[in-house]
Amino acid sequence: MFTLLHMTGVTSHNTLELLKKGDNATLQRIYEDNRNVFINFSKRYNISKNDAVDIYQDAIIALHENAVNGKINSLNSSVSTYLFAIGKNKIFQLLRKNKTVDLNQNITIESTNEILDVNFYEDKPTKRQNLIIENLKRLGKRCVEVLKLFYYQGFNLDEITKILNYSSKEVLKSQKSRCIKQLKKIIND
Amino acid sequence: MKKNFELIEKYFSNSLSDEEQIVFNNLLKNDPAFKEEFLFQKDLKKALSHNQRSSLKTTLQKFENNLEKEKVFPLRKWLAAASIVLVLGLSYFLLSDSFNSSSEKLYAEYFEPYRNVVHPIVRGENGNNIESSAFLAYENRKFYKAINLFNSVSNKEDEYIRFYSAMCHLGLNDNLEAINLLLPIATNETNDNSDLNFKEKANWYLGLAYLNSGDINKAISQFSVVANNPEKSYKKEEAQEILDKLDF
Repeated sequence: MFTLLHMTGVTSHNTLELLKKGDNATLQRIYEDNRNVFINFSKRYNISKNDAVDIYQDAIIALHENAVNGKINSLNSSVSTYLFAIGKNKIFQLLRKNKTVDLNQNITIESTNEILDVNFYEDKPTKRQNLIIENLKRLGKRCVEVLKLFYYQGFNLDEITKILNYSSKEVLKSQKSRCIKQLKKIIND
Repeated sequence: MKKNFELIEKYFSNSLSDEEQIVFNNLLKNDPAFKEEFLFQKDLKKALSHNQRSSLKTTLQKFENNLEKEKVFPLRKWLAAASIVLVLGLSYFLLSDSFNSSSEKLYAEYFEPYRNVVHPIVRGENGNNIESSAFLAYENRKFYKAINLFNSVSNKEDEYIRFYSAMCHLGLNDNLEAINLLLPIATNETNDNSDLNFKEKANWYLGLAYLNSGDINKAISQFSVVANNPEKSYKKEEAQEILDKLDF
């Protein structure tokens, strides 16, 4: 059925690269290109427009995240197909949660080759995670940058050395461990 | 220990070799310090993702708000709508103008000041010179003079004075004043069949007044009243003619 849906026709690899670089214009274009089709698509499941928009945004976030952390480097299909696969799964999650559908109905979650890591809102942050969330902003700008590149965007230390113009990988390495130590100290104080 | 921590770094870089993975798993099972360090960094990763998602969600909500704003007031659609309004407005202007001119033509075709049925009555009577002067002016189509004189008579609230005054206003294309004068006469409930009952006539002239002012809907309903009078009434046939001509 996805083949029936609107395709943006963008070259996915290039789009993913732009997303990974944090290109906001690309993000906005993807958002606007697929939004109305997705909201219309969601209507058949009888969910509210607010829920539909929320799910759509989460699908975009999942796409962004998986592009950024390198879980997907190339898509077998277009960006919109990927978005719809994530979004559809999230719609079913919502329906199951609301128990508004008979689950014996022939709702099948289509399997794709792509990673559909869509459960990130299910696991709420733990107490310690919340503490870290709150205290990250107390770290220096440089620290946050290093940590983000390493843990969120999934660059390795060699790559980050180049990106942030460190004189050597060892300097970066000690910087990174200093940042973590500092963070632990803030949290434990 | 430092070497062990490098395994954690490799884990997050997805670069553990198969052998390293085995060592990593063993350390996780047997070395609490190693496990604690790993779990802390995992929490750090989660926290960073969470922050990133929050700010991303804010960005997406901005995109959404932009779209909603555009939906309410999209410039291109707005311009299209504006041009339609302009076309409609122009055509209304042109159409109503032609409509007006056709209704004005109809009015000119049918309007004739009601004959003086009062003057012969007052002629024999002495003393009401102003009134006879007014009717004299009226018969001579001197409507301004007639209005002034009608306004000067002592019985200016009498129905027939008001009626002829309305005739003068109609003759001067002062539709509004004519309508004001005719309405109470047209809706008067008293029934006498004398020449001085102007109700039927008032209905007819009220229709003409609406026609002349371009108020077609009111003209139509007024002429319908006249045309649908069950009795053989004043200008009944003419009213129907006008309705036919107005395509009603």
